[in-house]
Amino acid sequence: MKKIFLITAGAVLLTVGSCKRDDSFLNIPPNSLLTTEKAFSDPALVLSILGDFYNREVDFSSLDNGWASFADFSEAFPSENGAAYLVERTGWGYGEWGLWDYGYIRELNLFLQRAEEATKLTETDKKRFIAEARFLRASHYFEMVKRMGGVPIITEPLTYDYSGDIEKYQKPRAKESEVYDFIISEAEAIKVDLPKNSNEKSRATYAAAVAMECRAALYAASIAKYGATTPTVTLGGDEVGIPASMANAYYTKALTAAQEIINGTAGIYKLYEVLPNAGDNFAGLFLDKTSVNQESIYIEDFKANGGKTHGFTTNNQPFSNSDEGLDAGRLNPSLNLAESFEKLDNTYAPFATTDNLGNPIYYDEQKTIFEGRDGRLAGTLLLPGDYFKSGKLDIWAGYKLADGSTFTSTEAGALRSLPGTPATDLVQVVGKDGPINNLEFRTQSGFYVRKYLDPQVGSGRRGRGSDVAFIRYRYAEVLLNAAEAAFELSDLTTAAGYINQVRNRAGLIVDLLPAEITFDRIVHERRVELAFEGHTLFDMKRWRLAHIVWDGQAETKTDLLTNIGSATHRNTRPWGLWPYKIFNPGNVNNGKWIFEVTLPSKVTGANSFKLGNYYSEIPGDVTSKNPKIVKQPNQ
Amino acid sequence: MKKRLLHSCRSVFGGCTVSFEFRGIGTITALLFFCMLSLNAMAQNKVTGKVTDGNGEILIGVAVSVKGTTIGTTTDVNGNFSINTEPNATLVFTYIGFLPQSISVKGKSTINLKLVSDQKSLDEVIVTGYGTQKKESITGAISGVTAKDIDRVHAGAGVSTSLAGKIPGVTFRQSDGRPGSGASIQIRNMGRPLYVIDGIQQDEGQFNNLSPTDIESINVLKDASAAIYGVRAANGVVVVTTKKGSGETRINVDAYLGFQSFTRFPNVLDNSYDYNRYLAEAQVNGNDNHTTLITQTELDKFKAGMQPGYTGDPQYKSFDWKDYVLNNNGAPQNMVNVNFTGGSDKVNYYISASNLYQNSMLGKEYMFNRSNIQSNIQAKVANGLKVSLNLNGRIESVENPGVPGGDDYFLAKFAILRNTPMDRPYANDNPLYLNDIGHTESNYAFLNKGLSGTLRSDWRVLQTNFNVEYDIPGIKGLNVKGVYSYYVADRILNNQEFTYNAYTYRPATDTYDVTGGSSNPWREREQKKEFATTSQFQINYANTFGKHSVGGTLVAERLTNRHLRNWIHGSPVSNSLPLIYFPILDQYQDSDDQEARLGYVGRFNYNFDNKYYVELSGRRDASYLFAPDKRVGYFPGVSAGWRITQEKFMKDLLGNSTVLTDLKLRGSYGILGDDRNPYDSNQPIIAPYAYLPGYSYNQGTTIINGNSLIVSRDKGLPVNRISWLKSKITDFGLDFTMFSSKLSGTLDYFYRERTGLPAAKNEVILPVELGYNLPQENLNSDAVQGGEMSLNYNNTFGQFNFSVGGNVSYARGKTLDVYKQTYNNSVDRYFSGSVDRYNNISWGNQVIGQFQSQEQINDYPVNIDGMGNKTLIPGDLIYKDVNGDGRIDGADNRPIGFGYGTQPTVNYGFNFAFAYKNFDFHADFSGASGYTWYQNWETRRPFQNNGNLNTIFTDRWHHTDIYDINSPWIPGKYPALRQNPGGNSSNYNRDSDFWLHNVRYLRARTIELGYSLPESLLKFVKIKKARFYVNGYNLFSLDGLSEYGVDPEVTDDNGLQFPQNRIINIGTKITF
Repeated sequence: MKKIFLITAGAVLLTVGSCKRDDSFLNIPPNSLLTTEKAFSDPALVLSILGDFYNREVDFSSLDNGWASFADFSEAFPSENGAAYLVERTGWGYGEWGLWDYGYIRELNLFLQRAEEATKLTETDKKRFIAEARFLRASHYFEMVKRMGGVPIITEPLTYDYSGDIEKYQKPRAKESEVYDFIISEAEAIKVDLPKNSNEKSRATYAAAVAMECRAALYAASIAKYGATTPTVTLGGDEVGIPASMANAYYTKALTAAQEIINGTAGIYKLYEVLPNAGDNFAGLFLDKTSVNQESIYIEDFKANGGKTHGFTTNNQPFSNSDEGLDAGRLNPSLNLAESFEKLDNTYAPFATTDNLGNPIYYDEQKTIFEGRDGRLAGTLLLPGDYFKSGKLDIWAGYKLADGSTFTSTEAGALRSLPGTPATDLVQVVGKDGPINNLEFRTQSGFYVRKYLDPQVGSGRRGRGSDVAFIRYRYAEVLLNAAEAAFELSDLTTAAGYINQVRNRAGLIVDLLPAEITFDRIVHERRVELAFEGHTLFDMKRWRLAHIVWDGQAETKTDLLTNIGSATHRNTRPWGLWPYKIFNPGNVNNGKWIFEVTLPSKVTGANSFKLGNYYSEIPGDVTSKNPKIVKQPNQ
Repeated sequence: MKKRLLHSCRSVFGGCTVSFEFRGIGTITALLFFCMLSLNAMAQNKVTGKVTDGNGEILIGVAVSVKGTTIGTTTDVNGNFSINTEPNATLVFTYIGFLPQSISVKGKSTINLKLVSDQKSLDEVIVTGYGTQKKESITGAISGVTAKDIDRVHAGAGVSTSLAGKIPGVTFRQSDGRPGSGASIQIRNMGRPLYVIDGIQQDEGQFNNLSPTDIESINVLKDASAAIYGVRAANGVVVVTTKKGSGETRINVDAYLGFQSFTRFPNVLDNSYDYNRYLAEAQVNGNDNHTTLITQTELDKFKAGMQPGYTGDPQYKSFDWKDYVLNNNGAPQNMVNVNFTGGSDKVNYYISASNLYQNSMLGKEYMFNRSNIQSNIQAKVANGLKVSLNLNGRIESVENPGVPGGDDYFLAKFAILRNTPMDRPYANDNPLYLNDIGHTESNYAFLNKGLSGTLRSDWRVLQTNFNVEYDIPGIKGLNVKGVYSYYVADRILNNQEFTYNAYTYRPATDTYDVTGGSSNPWREREQKKEFATTSQFQINYANTFGKHSVGGTLVAERLTNRHLRNWIHGSPVSNSLPLIYFPILDQYQDSDDQEARLGYVGRFNYNFDNKYYVELSGRRDASYLFAPDKRVGYFPGVSAGWRITQEKFMKDLLGNSTVLTDLKLRGSYGILGDDRNPYDSNQPIIAPYAYLPGYSYNQGTTIINGNSLIVSRDKGLPVNRISWLKSKITDFGLDFTMFSSKLSGTLDYFYRERTGLPAAKNEVILPVELGYNLPQENLNSDAVQGGEMSLNYNNTFGQFNFSVGGNVSYARGKTLDVYKQTYNNSVDRYFSGSVDRYNNISWGNQVIGQFQSQEQINDYPVNIDGMGNKTLIPGDLIYKDVNGDGRIDGADNRPIGFGYGTQPTVNYGFNFAFAYKNFDFHADFSGASGYTWYQNWETRRPFQNNGNLNTIFTDRWHHTDIYDINSPWIPGKYPALRQNPGGNSSNYNRDSDFWLHNVRYLRARTIELGYSLPESLLKFVKIKKARFYVNGYNLFSLDGLSEYGVDPEVTDDNGLQFPQNRIINIGTKITF
């Protein structure tokens, strides 16, 4: 009997297991959770929190948020059927480009509060961490103000107390100028706590703070000056729009800030001039992450096999030597952009496809037509006949027959027998890289992109990805900011000095004279230097040019080919330049190349930027939840 | 080795003698004699005898006891017993699987007895929460199937596939039929049920991968009766009981071999001539200038290229991809099970091993294999003390070519639609060179282990349940029970995707140039370990006092789960290097998550005279997910039953009539809890540790100064206002049997209301600038309502037995309340409101016709395409302008379907069986309605992805002369073909009832003909039973989707889902 009880008791013990109390049984210690106290006692953990803020910094065209933002604004054609809306639509929604992210701001404010209160960090660490967080917060306000205009400036973490009294949480929009002033004053206040080190690129530095300040001041200045041309793009309380009277002060601040970098106060920075060929050098600037590159000031870095890569190369690599089959060729720079690169004599001209009589010009080599241009053309675009990763691009739209008709295929690289040849004599009749209308993942404009495209083996694989960095601030932009500010302050000599440095590096060795520095030149220089770097939209907005260049009128071939270099040049549809091979046996031109200006057939819309697009629509839930938020004009 | 121990002891009660007999290790038999507490001297005489079954086979281990005492013995290996008793005593013989029998001794010294087998024993006892109950006393809505129903279904791997149409209230949809797949089943459309296997909570995967032959019964608890099963039983419970041993020793061999083929798959054009002719038509229709490069001359060449023996220009040849891809028609599946079973009243055992192999119609290299073992051993080690050990293990393997993309079956199916008849798998038809067709990933010639690599996934699972049960001496009907269960599952996934070349043949030089392929090697390995423990301690009491029967159960249980996972990815430098070393490694993920839940359960039941039944139950559950003060939930339930036919007035009324044998009314109400996400049962209702503040580590990687740094993020405001959601189920039902139990049936109505669905409060409108949202609380509610009925009839005429049965059920959910739902206006209320509305409504336009002529288009007042109807041509769809504003847009949408991929709202099944002499025949049918299949992508847009044309589109509007747009139109079903119409085509870019189909189907599930060899023959070969059968599964289906070439149960709107298979099986079941 005893035995049975023993057995039973033993079994019961076994079943119930170790008799933990219920609450300790349910309290499972988390293994990837840091308490606030623990986090702020170890600089490595604080940096881990800051690292997340760095990761979440908003960029308009960053390398890891797709490729479609690059393909907009008629600067490129999107060769993916799912993105065809970019060229089919006739304008942008008012909500486009909007940003109203106060979650990020709140987290930064909490971080600042906790870092201030931290007792176990050294003062040096603490100062730098706080300066970095304030830099990130100012940078985020900059991203918001350039899209939305004035936004509420909140610098303390807000927490609802369940009292029912919500009015105290309803903050009105600040004036647009006040947000810019906040960014400028924050940069001034924190720069001294940040290192002056040109090798430090992925964390905030003195130079990064000043570069941000410089760009912000320039934006504020140009909004003040050119906002006068669009008087309806304002709000009564200056939430949108900056009085013209403030322009000069902002231009002066922009110039001063730029000069802190140019004269070396902020650390040693200079233009990237390493490779002998201007095009290769320009492309190399975006690939070189060594200390040789003293042009990049502040970057978003990536690391292959290191946990952070992006798919830009996978998305946009030339189809014919894609690492990843169909994943390729999405971003096709437009002829609009390509032709805006000057000739070496500082003049503008379309590519010579026909002679004066309108007859086609026959080229022995595809490349010849692109020669004698600004080095940045070849540095920014991959042109027909260029090489990428040792593969020669195969870009041609088909054969032109003696009667002028086209002989091609709807399948890239297709083999067919040419008219008059034996049926079994199959030859390739169209490029493996396109262009073929409607055939996605190959170019449909005749060009591929080169800027940021990673020549490293495997960079186009989905699994590996590319680790080319995205440069947020670089020295050349600082020079162009300085040139623009000086130009607007009527110091043309200083302006010419800065702009010529950038142009010389691009192979344009004939200096512009101070008298040749015009507003059109300033606008043009930024377009070609900073293409695909996320500037186009915001530059066009601050100069109040957006509603003029994207006026919704279909850009004709005549529009395209005339007045190149004009700041108000219509730019509403991405055109292409398609090479054809001549098939005319016995003729002197047989086997030569001609080029045709072509509008890809998917392009059915025309970009229309309305006055209501200058400031993105504030989402309905924001305005409905805070009656103090005034709506944008013209929407 | 035999050892004999004999000893006795004297307990404090005095007079008790215990004797143990251990025979070897593993087989324990114990003899136990208990004395009465009051020891009266009695006259003793010895009774001996032999116990056999109806066939005269001896029965070993039959319990023989003296009624009213605790004196007892068992029959020995020869079926003999010997017992001392009073001359006027009564002996009671009990044995599992047989009816108990009482015999008065009346002074006899020899009693030989035949026990009558209890045919109904399995039907009569229903497994309910923490115990079993007699069917007549059940007051909840519980239905089930037993081994004999499950055994007949040879549909594939998943146990769930065997439930189609079998159980009233269980909704069924098997969208995917690939090797190893199961069906989606829900109880009353309440969401994913809880699975309980032999008393232990398990997941769906564990349920599906049991060996069906090891299952004794599957019961579904559909109402408050599930409440007792507790933690997370809100969506009903599927209770699985595996086989236990009984009776004489038997060896069963069960084996079948089946041949599978797709029930349906879309048809495509199989020759280049047709392809080009339709393409030319599409280009002429769709281009602005109405031209095509495909001239009549070209078409003629393609036509010539179709001829057998054609030797001309290879570019005009044709290739039939469907025929090429679906090359493994009649793909085999087979299953072998061997089990050993038997038992006495001391020990019973069921030991079983099975293997299932399943191949695929997509190719021999796509396969599934599973080996299961099941070992259930129960021993009575001492009087009143039972122990048992249930072991369940399996190895489950999936192997197929390692193919780019997430689903390795996709590209092979996609190949049928994507590749045109002009594409050829091999360059110059030379099988040494994979042809570069421009989209090589869908070239089926590449989708094999040689070229694309291999994926293999193995689950290795072991479940062990240890039970101890002890009848407390001295108190009749009281026992305690302990259960400990340990579950370990291990998964290894190895996937290597090769780099490969694709070639283009150059006839001029007779060379094969590498023009495509992939240089992207992909090597991954995933390792998962799952641990789960269940500990239960139970006290049970059951007794009868005259006409009063009472029962009670108290349970304490604790459940833990732990999920470990790591995943590594590398890019090997060569296809021939399968291992992963550090330099090629580029991604690594690691996680370790734990869960803990506990519950206290109480149940009390009472019945009076088997007439009135009441059951009360309650649970107190706690989950680790919630904040400490929100952890506990209380879940009571009550049910009652009334057997009217037991009432005297009914007995008087019925007299000797057998019309109504039994009628029971029952009702139940219960509150059940759930801590899972109400809309996705795989997710918790809130993230673990949401109630704690702090920073979450590992929120991504940033690169600082060239080094990777793992980053952390603020968790946000602690969520400490959420707790269990509650599922309140009301059920009314009745069970009846008529005509001497030949006809039986049930009828149920139910209403399930779920409260406490998470949402954030919104009576204070906080500005977005606050930077966070208020945490979620238990605020919203929804409901499911419906009912089911079933009827079964069986009868025997001489040697002819037959039965027929059927069931139908309906269940549909709706949203009840959304906390202070706000609308901008009444239109917004109409389109986006959800309060008091059915779930899963598909919105779309209503098609009221097709344009018959260009004049009709020109005169049509409504702007159909948003472009003034300039894109329209005859045959295009006319949408109803519901709001009459002269244009078609989202405001003209109306409810047109039941949602994408949802469970059917109505399910039905019926079966028919008869047996004559040694032949038997079964036919099971099942069906469903109230769900929707969408035509989209390849089944909506001709030449989608520049691929082949689905043949449904050959019935289309077209010109008599495809090259002449002025020639007359010939009407057809589909709008005129266009190539790549993009987003501009109003036919395709709007969901409408032209493309949505509300499905109803009735399909033959299992049709089986069997023959059992007569026993007279079997005697000579020492075989007890042998049966052979042919069995067809999914032989036909009646539904409206056959014209689209899709199975009626598929979900994928491109029609490319792996459909269910039609299977012909031959098999045998032999008992030795």
